[in-house]
Amino acid sequence: MLKGIGASDGIGIGRVMIIAEQTLDYIPKEVTDVDAELQRFHDAVDKFCANTEEQAEAIRKSTGPKEAEILLGHITMIRDPFMNGEIENLIKAEQCAEKAVEQICQMFIDMFSATGDEVTMQRAADVKDIRDGMLAILLGINEVKISDAPAGTVIVVKELTPSMTAGINKENIVGIVTETGSQTSHSAILARALEIPAVLSVTGAVTSLSTDEQIIVDGSEGVVITAPSAEEITEFTAKRDSFLRDKRELENYRGQKTVSASGEEYELFCNIGTPKDATKAVAADGEGVGLFRTEFLFMDRTALPTEDEQFEAYKQASLIMKGAPVIIRTLDIGGDKEIPYLGLSKEENPFMGFRAIRYCLKNRDMFKSQLKAILRASAFGDIRIMFPLITAIDELREGKALVEEAKNDLRVSGIAFDENIKIGVMTETAASGVIADTLAEEADFFSIGTNDLTGYTMAADRGNSDVAYLYSPFQPSVLRMIRRIIKCAAKENIPVGMCGEAAANPLMIPLLISFGLTEFSVSAPSVLKVRKNIAKWTKFEADNVAEKVMLMKTEAEVLAYLKSVV
Amino acid sequence: MVSKKLTIVNAQGFHMRPASAFATAMNKYASDVVIRHNGSDVNAKSLMNIIAACIKCGNEIEIVATGADEEAAVAEAAAMIEGGFGE
Repeated sequence: MLKGIGASDGIGIGRVMIIAEQTLDYIPKEVTDVDAELQRFHDAVDKFCANTEEQAEAIRKSTGPKEAEILLGHITMIRDPFMNGEIENLIKAEQCAEKAVEQICQMFIDMFSATGDEVTMQRAADVKDIRDGMLAILLGINEVKISDAPAGTVIVVKELTPSMTAGINKENIVGIVTETGSQTSHSAILARALEIPAVLSVTGAVTSLSTDEQIIVDGSEGVVITAPSAEEITEFTAKRDSFLRDKRELENYRGQKTVSASGEEYELFCNIGTPKDATKAVAADGEGVGLFRTEFLFMDRTALPTEDEQFEAYKQASLIMKGAPVIIRTLDIGGDKEIPYLGLSKEENPFMGFRAIRYCLKNRDMFKSQLKAILRASAFGDIRIMFPLITAIDELREGKALVEEAKNDLRVSGIAFDENIKIGVMTETAASGVIADTLAEEADFFSIGTNDLTGYTMAADRGNSDVAYLYSPFQPSVLRMIRRIIKCAAKENIPVGMCGEAAANPLMIPLLISFGLTEFSVSAPSVLKVRKNIAKWTKFEADNVAEKVMLMKTEAEVLAYLKSVV
Repeated sequence: MVSKKLTIVNAQGFHMRPASAFATAMNKYASDVVIRHNGSDVNAKSLMNIIAACIKCGNEIEIVATGADEEAAVAEAAAMIEGGFGE
């Protein structure tokens, strides 16, 4: 078995086709006719662009316009006047076109790789692709045609280049194995778009595998099974079929309402970290945004974001969601994050220290600029404000008073906003759970952050392996906390959502239905799964399960029982 | 010479697509156009140089154009950057 990074879900069983690296070796020639050599270079660029356009067209049909655009970027790169000028200068200095192209491409590969920035470093792969494509044209080498691969082929290659991906015929290629790449590399993005199982970063794949041998690619687990036994073939065939069946079945839930088997309707939202993530939420069929983390606006920079900058980001998310609800959580940051300009000092216990709402209420100018930005964006859709880490009602009151101040400032300036903007509490501390009854009287909604609620209730850091066993939302104490928060919200008739990971857990769903949760907020890839899991339960069945669970005294009992009924 | 200070607003900064559209737009102008970023001048007509400059969301930059159509070049550059490259 070979281990790698699972970059595209699913299972492929097929025969290996090794895409060997072409030898692009050449002996540098002396150039006597500079004009002719320049012409040879320009002809190669034209041919490269024509090839790329053809490949982009193929990929547009097989995959989509976005993926095609990645490839079309190669044309802009090779046509770059600066890069062209540098290559021409080398040719004019009597270097052959091959050498000139290789040298200048290498300069950019080194430059991109040296930035240490992941996105920029990925561009180095594009430049390598351009270099190889140009050298192949200049040397008159015919490229290997992946498009000719027979049905049931697993492609094994050192690095999957965007131009290679263009040749992939979805019907014939059942898996992809590479020696390089990560979850976010182009290979991964393209493999997912093509829905071909892929395992990347498998060390030595090209040398240890040979053409025509049978292998299993498990893109969900990130493993490659070599020389599979008959039992393994049977096992993985069944796994593959059930994966495909589940996937088809999930698609039936797209565009549907989120509703239990007995007809209760729920809101099913997504958690996002940037405005761009909102696009994923829409693509995943999310009905809104239940948690928009705003930290990205403050990270990796040297000064506070301006009000305008924040306004643009919030407005953008709302526009992408086409007016569906967007719950924006105000800055949730503390001494655990390296943001020098905020002047947060390192503290012994940052999770119990000066962070989130506590920090914001002490830095009112900064907080007010965020609130004003959110208010201004609320003129463009259904935007709601959520305060993190509330532990006492004074914090909610002070936050609300500051929202009123911000509203007044905007009124004076004649700027539009939603007068009735909803202000809610992220219930994620044990304290907020205990005073949920009084908080519910003054908040417009609750959202349960189960990740922190579990940690604060159990006083257990899940990152510490000695105490991680305590960190479970199925601990009776945490379940009681969750139930209490939901019941207190119901009593005051305010909506109550859950934006922690537990909201997507199939074992937790019947309990949440029974307690009376009104909104589930999950990561985009979980949306359809959660909708399907909610549809499984009637309120009556969920109540029966919850009643039994809430009498149990240990986490082990709870989990064992839930696993037996879900 | 005309120049304008700007802040990058789109979440991904000058990544492939915006950088490519930006360089293509700037190549229409006869003027020299540079992006002043972190104390160095980046050729705004070169996609490759823009990518290498790693310009991120929130970065403050200055567009400087010199030549016959410098006004128009800076105006279009500013419109693209302030509009977040339509992202």
